[in-house]
Amino acid sequence: MSERLLELTGVSGGYGDIQVLWGVDLAVNAGDMVCLIGSNGAGKSTLLRCISGLGVWSKGRIAFAGRDMSGRPAADIVAAGIVHVPEGRRLFRGMSVRDNLLMGAYARRDGAAAIRRDLEVVYGIFPRLAERTGQDASTLSGGEQQMCAIGRGIMAAPRLLMIDELSLGLAPRLVEELGEALIKINRTGVSILLVEQDVITALELASYGFVLDRGRIAIAGAARELMVNPLVTDAYLGATALAVS
Amino acid sequence: MLYLQVLINGILLGGLYSCIAVGFSLVWGVLNIINIMHGSLIILGAYAAYFAFTLLGINPFVFVPIAGVALFVLGYALQAGVINRVMGAPVLITLTLTFGLNLILENAMIFAFKADYRKVIIDPPLGLIEIGSAFVPRDRLYAMLLALLLVGGLYAVLRTTRIGRAIVAVRMDREAAALMGVNVPRIYAITFGLGALMAGSAGSLMSVIFPISPLTSVAFLGKAFVICVLGGLGSIPGVMVGGIALGVLESFGSLWLGPDYSTTIAFVLLLALLMFRPTGIMGKRGFE
Ligand SMILES: Nc1ncnc2c1ncn2[C@@H]1O[C@H](COP(=O)(O)OP(=O)(O)OP(=O)(O)O)[C@@H](O)[C@H]1O
Ligand SMILES: [Mg+2]
Repeated sequence: MSERLLELTGVSGGYGDIQVLWGVDLAVNAGDMVCLIGSNGAGKSTLLRCISGLGVWSKGRIAFAGRDMSGRPAADIVAAGIVHVPEGRRLFRGMSVRDNLLMGAYARRDGAAAIRRDLEVVYGIFPRLAERTGQDASTLSGGEQQMCAIGRGIMAAPRLLMIDELSLGLAPRLVEELGEALIKINRTGVSILLVEQDVITALELASYGFVLDRGRIAIAGAARELMVNPLVTDAYLGATALAVS
Repeated sequence: MLYLQVLINGILLGGLYSCIAVGFSLVWGVLNIINIMHGSLIILGAYAAYFAFTLLGINPFVFVPIAGVALFVLGYALQAGVINRVMGAPVLITLTLTFGLNLILENAMIFAFKADYRKVIIDPPLGLIEIGSAFVPRDRLYAMLLALLLVGGLYAVLRTTRIGRAIVAVRMDREAAALMGVNVPRIYAITFGLGALMAGSAGSLMSVIFPISPLTSVAFLGKAFVICVLGGLGSIPGVMVGGIALGVLESFGSLWLGPDYSTTIAFVLLLALLMFRPTGIMGKRGFE
């Protein structure tokens, strides 16, 4: 079995008085692509925020590469190699594509040459960004914005890339293109935690999946098995919540 | 040509005004703090330059970077030690805090320096440059050019440096910036420090041109406020345009209505602008 990269044990969390997560256990092995699926409001984004140290309270243990990262500020998390591509892309308006990508490299300490090299890597994966390097990022199309957001994440030289809602609002053909890009990124040794509402896409890309239901992990298993699990398929086909006793 | 002279005076003044307002605008735009202390920071810079000149014989133009660095350190410490504690609070809380800090600073200056007006007298005077029938006083010209250089420098720092990009990013989206590994409280402190740096530098330049007293700080705060509204919050080119516009307006205002009315004109204009074009002349969101 390969090395555990990220391991959550009994993680609870929420906003102020509101508790959203109730003792979540989740793990990502080094080199894997893992997906986290679940219906609206299940707490997927909140879980990523707990990991990133972003505006939520959390309890429980979050370990990364063997180190306890629970309760650490966002800057430490990024420095440790966990990079979060947020829901809704959150590009910096008024800044060019290139400056957005460079913002991704903000916390790096390995020098300008390495950053320039990775900029070329991003342009290699997403040639459309190379064509629009000087353009205001807020004027990009939805798909291009997602490319820019993922590219910005890669610029941080992550060991684990967490992507929230890859496919949100994008045409199927674009989602496919982005999925191929993720596979390429994954092959370079970057582990990926993919949060998705589009269950089919998520399970096709990932090797392992977790299903989050009202703040708890309801089902976990190999993506191949989840794809034929009636609980998953029923939920995907439109049942309100997963009927787990 | 009387009008040419009045126009020149206005532009010379306006350049300096841009420098007065730019730090105030930066802090408001990025930190969402209306820094009531800004006027007093300008006066502090002016006093520092005054004493450096009278006690040590340092030319105020040479003293500008020293005042800037000293005020940067003060501003950074204030934000990191005090203001950062209330950053999540509504704007009224931070306003009250800077109001209180300003009372302390202003009264400390009245206590230390007395309320008398003082001015740096450069001897021999730098003289005048003649343009046709109009005159350009050299001290004012140098002060304006240095002021614009400082404003341009700040613009370049924000656009081209790593820290500058982080400041802009924090202004756009604090959370997204944090996800890039930006230490947001530190960027707040640097931004407030830069605001104080611009105030201190502007103060040094002003000591050559205006008599200074702790009591004049409110007037400078008012001007900074008007310029931000004129130029539109959150844009450095806007501050430049707003500063020069205010300088020229005041200059013509005191020609036509008498010098007593120059401030009144500024505020009447402010009201008119707020009613008809609340985003300012060049107003748009985002700091660039
Ligand atoms: N800032 C906040 N303050 C209070 N409650 C919040 C906040 N953000 C989210 N919540 C609540 O937390 C719960 C989980 O939200 P979360 O965004 O994590 O869900 P999600 O699984 O990502 O959903 P989606 O698929 O719609 O993105 C929801 O009930 C939501 O209302
Ligand atoms: Mg979400």
